[in-house]
Amino acid sequence: MKNDLTKIVISGEGGQGIQTIAKVLAESFKDSGFYVSYIPQFGPEQRGAPSISFIQYSTKEIKYPRFYKADYLIVLRERAIPATTTFINSKTKVIFDSSTIRSNIIKQSENKKEAVPATKIAYELFGEKNLNLVILGYLTKYFSLNKNDVWKIISRNLKKKFAKNDKLEDEAKKAFFYGYEIVAEKKIFSKPTFKTEKRIIYTKNDKREAIISPELCKGCGICIEKCPVGALKFSDEIGVYGNRIPEIDIDKCIACGNCFRFCPDCAIKVNKKK
Amino acid sequence: MTKTIDKNFSMPKCFNERSKPSLYCPGCGQSIFLKHLGFIIDDLEIQGKTTLGIDIGCSLLAWNFFNFDIVQTHHGRSVPVAVGYKLSNKRRIVMSIMGDGGGYAIGLQSLLHAAFRNNPISVFVLNNTGYSMTGGQMAPTSIPGEITTTSPSGKDPKNSGKAFHGPELIKQISDNSAYIARASVSNPIMLQKMIKKTLENQIKNNSFSFLEVLTPCPTNWKTTASESFNFLSKMEKEFPIGEMTKNEK
Repeated sequence: MKNDLTKIVISGEGGQGIQTIAKVLAESFKDSGFYVSYIPQFGPEQRGAPSISFIQYSTKEIKYPRFYKADYLIVLRERAIPATTTFINSKTKVIFDSSTIRSNIIKQSENKKEAVPATKIAYELFGEKNLNLVILGYLTKYFSLNKNDVWKIISRNLKKKFAKNDKLEDEAKKAFFYGYEIVAEKKIFSKPTFKTEKRIIYTKNDKREAIISPELCKGCGICIEKCPVGALKFSDEIGVYGNRIPEIDIDKCIACGNCFRFCPDCAIKVNKKK
Repeated sequence: MTKTIDKNFSMPKCFNERSKPSLYCPGCGQSIFLKHLGFIIDDLEIQGKTTLGIDIGCSLLAWNFFNFDIVQTHHGRSVPVAVGYKLSNKRRIVMSIMGDGGGYAIGLQSLLHAAFRNNPISVFVLNNTGYSMTGGQMAPTSIPGEITTTSPSGKDPKNSGKAFHGPELIKQISDNSAYIARASVSNPIMLQKMIKKTLENQIKNNSFSFLEVLTPCPTNWKTTASESFNFLSKMEKEFPIGEMTKNEK
């Protein structure tokens, strides 16, 4: 192994599981006999704010956990890019999520970029919460760690979450091992299909009309909870935080206005036609 | 059929459209409150003469929420700033929005003295039973038995006290003309009426008006939409909703 210090920055949105990835990676480096330092950078405790974690591993002792230029930068959301551009220098290798980020936004030469369409994979195969495990699987292979050892650390870290729901562990395990097998995209990247579209979803019948704005919806689910007739349910459309947004069954709807009254982000409205 | 829909289709007119989607978490009760506040400001047509003082905490995320004057103050000091503003410019309608940390913990003395002096401002305190921006620590308003990051085995009333009841305290020292009430986000129609009364009391009676709003915090309670509203109804048992009236002798 090299004697050098290796510096890794992992960044994304708060709520994506960035700190879980970083913690598991740090513990696996420690178990493979390296000196490791891991420090998270927290902003306000808020969903959607950029979340960054700093990892270093080395065969020698590490003196200080912060650094200013990274050897590897992992970016999972477009919103986190402004906060991480300062860590890029000419040698930095960038791994990004090509299903949510356009490759030309990242200012780094083409041969230093790699991409995994992790959000797409997680949505289509395992459910959106497993995004971080897909990435973690990929990184396990990237840093040539033993996948079974890493999985043990994951199940130790997520024990509480797995205890609530049995299905969760199976899905997580599948997502992790799928991530391990992924071959990254190089130079030719897939298009960011999992981005919020600037449009308004307009549904109508002869009595009423409904408007939903994916640009504003954060997917809290309050409208679905508060609908008295169950006319709303989650659809496959993507909202502003990479969440699922509700769709309306306009024939069931009674235009009571509850969804409009409770929506925190002014993303839905139903009108009666006169 | 093509129909052009205004981008502003469901927002109040006084909202700053460019700041949306707002900085609040998904399902935040504060943005529900701010939306209804916006509708009332539209309704009373006071957008041009309103000033809003905001505090440290999640309430500061409203710094570009509206298209009117907003003052960012120190922690717990949005009431004194609002009082000063009102004293210097009596024609303005001055509001102050705080969290329960700013209103009942660090800024309680400012709030009490503003109520005692009967300064004509409208104060909104948003109660979500915890310090949310720093990660959900236990606050004076946490209800007994509530699990937070600093009370992992539930809040013990022996050491940490019962839940803090703000409006009930302010009622004891305030003037008879003051309007004091508690509303909840779970009933938006009642919330709108109470916000309207809080602002009208400042405009018409020229006296102190205070409204506490119970809001959910799904991020720190770690709840889904339905669980948040279940917890909110538990809060409503601890903090009874309604207008506080003075006992007349």
